[in-house]
Amino acid sequence: MNLRKRTREKLIGYLFVLPAVVYLFVLIGYPIIYNWIIAFQDVTATTLGSSSRNFNGLKNFIMIFEDPVFLKAISQTFFYTFFSLLFQFTIGFLFALFFSQRFALSKPIRGMMVISWLLPVTVTALVFKFMFAENGIINAIFQKLCLIQEPIGWLIQQETSIWALIAANSWIGIPFNMILLTTGLTNISSDIYESASMDGANIFQRFFRITLPLLKPTIMSVLVLGFVSTFKVFDLVYVMTGGGPVNATEVLSSYSYKLSFIQFKFGEGAAAANVLFLFLFGIGCIYLKTISKDEVI
Amino acid sequence: MKRNLAYLLTGIILLTSLAGCGKKDNPPAGETEIAVADTETVDVPEESDSSEKAEITFWHYMNEDKEGVIVNEVIEEFNASQSEIHVTGQYIPRQELMKQYTIGVVSGDLPDIGMVDNPDHASYASMGVFEDITDLFNEWESADFLEGSLNSCIYNDRIYGVPWGNNALGLFYDVDLLEEAGIGVPTTWSELEKAAELLTTEGRYGLAISAPGTEEGTFQYLPWLLSAGGNVNEFNSEAGRKSLEFLSNMIEKGFMSREVINWTQGDIQKQFASGQAAMMINGPWQFSAMGTDAPEKNWSVAKVPKADDGEYASVLGGENIGICKGANMDAAWTFLTWLTSSENSQRICKGIGRFSPRADVDLQQMFAEDEKNLLFAEILPTAHSRGPSPVWPEISAAIYTAVQEVFTGQKDIDTSLLDAQVKIDEINASN
Repeated sequence: MNLRKRTREKLIGYLFVLPAVVYLFVLIGYPIIYNWIIAFQDVTATTLGSSSRNFNGLKNFIMIFEDPVFLKAISQTFFYTFFSLLFQFTIGFLFALFFSQRFALSKPIRGMMVISWLLPVTVTALVFKFMFAENGIINAIFQKLCLIQEPIGWLIQQETSIWALIAANSWIGIPFNMILLTTGLTNISSDIYESASMDGANIFQRFFRITLPLLKPTIMSVLVLGFVSTFKVFDLVYVMTGGGPVNATEVLSSYSYKLSFIQFKFGEGAAAANVLFLFLFGIGCIYLKTISKDEVI
Repeated sequence: MKRNLAYLLTGIILLTSLAGCGKKDNPPAGETEIAVADTETVDVPEESDSSEKAEITFWHYMNEDKEGVIVNEVIEEFNASQSEIHVTGQYIPRQELMKQYTIGVVSGDLPDIGMVDNPDHASYASMGVFEDITDLFNEWESADFLEGSLNSCIYNDRIYGVPWGNNALGLFYDVDLLEEAGIGVPTTWSELEKAAELLTTEGRYGLAISAPGTEEGTFQYLPWLLSAGGNVNEFNSEAGRKSLEFLSNMIEKGFMSREVINWTQGDIQKQFASGQAAMMINGPWQFSAMGTDAPEKNWSVAKVPKADDGEYASVLGGENIGICKGANMDAAWTFLTWLTSSENSQRICKGIGRFSPRADVDLQQMFAEDEKNLLFAEILPTAHSRGPSPVWPEISAAIYTAVQEVFTGQKDIDTSLLDAQVKIDEINASN
């Protein structure tokens, strides 16, 4: 009797989840599978419309891995992700600690800081594009401060353009990091800090022995979320540099787009997108594993 | 609490990571508008059963604020002129429209009539976006188009569309500034360099061109290459070297901004209109923008200066329109021939800053009073067309990449020419 009731409850539970599962499968699962299929097919402009496309094994993957621009795009994606995360996280964390101090106006100011995260990325990208132009405000400020003599062509030089992207992305990501870390911080009971200071723990000990360990799950989540959203960047790059100058800011997503929609090599574009997918999938798995370990403890 | 947060976040991560890869097939949030438009266009035929009018959708990229106004007017006029067919025009930004075509080939959501940039026409025809209209075209009594324009509609000896409007590139210059400097309108590269030198001041460049890593970059570079006697298939040549040398020299000497690699033709029009550039290379579709941005400015146009020992050269730009797969052929053909009839083509093209691609329109006579348009009417018959070839986008990519490599100093001219030539030969060999 009891068992039957439990099964029924379970069934009802599954029914509740069903719409979401169907939705996920149709709108997200199907494109992924389709993308994998065309990654193994010879899909170009002439074969896109035909129903029988030739299966060509790993040829698309071999082609892209022999392409120096693709390899460059991989390393640039990692470079961009690493430094974006470094700046977003450090600065976001500092802001979170700062705003967790209760002072007048701390809440409204914190609220306003989120604006940069709420703006559409295209808008942010355009604004940064103007700011980093040769006659833009960044050069003007640096010149006023006598840091540089001649204006720097931030977006038109090979070495500097990716840093302009990192700056823009960090600006977008800081409030996101700050908000999540603040939530984590407010969850740490102030009793712990009180008793620690009674025991004579100084501010650094309190930070490294209490704040960091207790914040670890939040930090992990923030970093993984940040990694995923930064790694698959597209709009920012597309608007600010279009992958240029001469591939200097080409990332996996923008290159995959170019292969597919500019050069009509759909098979290779799909293969490139799948490489991007595999990296993110790997990160997702690692993260899930770390969480389940924490559960055991 | 923390654990719940962690679970929630994991869910979000998986979702976003998966969605990231689904991007190609699933338009991201910004594109939903178009997705909506899609379904609307699909729904329309069902509704039309009651009104018994054939419904035709026409996708174009004539900006709604500018040229699109004229396009909408013409569509309204057509709808009012007869009771058989109802046309709905849909503006979609160019790049977005091109993406919709590729998606449409797979999903079947194509309009009845669609617009395409002429160098890309062969690619989309090979993809199966457009119907073969050779037979209809041959039966059409007034099928009288300029050869170069019609060629861009042909793929594998079959006709896949009809030319919509032509344009070409010329030199725009500030009349007052040239007079102040006491120089005439430059006609050769050395004169151009001299003029640019004299006109460059603090806050103003002598010349602006557009050299982004897109088709626009190739379009703007080709007049220089062609004038030096080169062609795209033999890019690694004396002509290629000379033209790149001349342009990069203009940048090195500071007569032309290093930022040209990020500027579109729309951007340089703004530079010219606001006086940040004294001359620019651009086309007649900017005339109306010049009128609104700088009504007081005293400017004029001339042919793109020629190589010192070369000929004037320009490149044919413009759009074609074709009937898409699965369209209502009869109705679409009626509308298409109405749009591109001698009288209407003339009128529409004049309104949108283009030139009628019809051979039976006498442009010289049409613009007898209008110096600026007359000049382009003169340039057009000799303008070179790009392609037509389904691999043109790849060849174009090889060329604009080389131009960018040289302009940014990433490679020297000889290396970039050689690298581009290797790519072009490979593309041509595989085609």
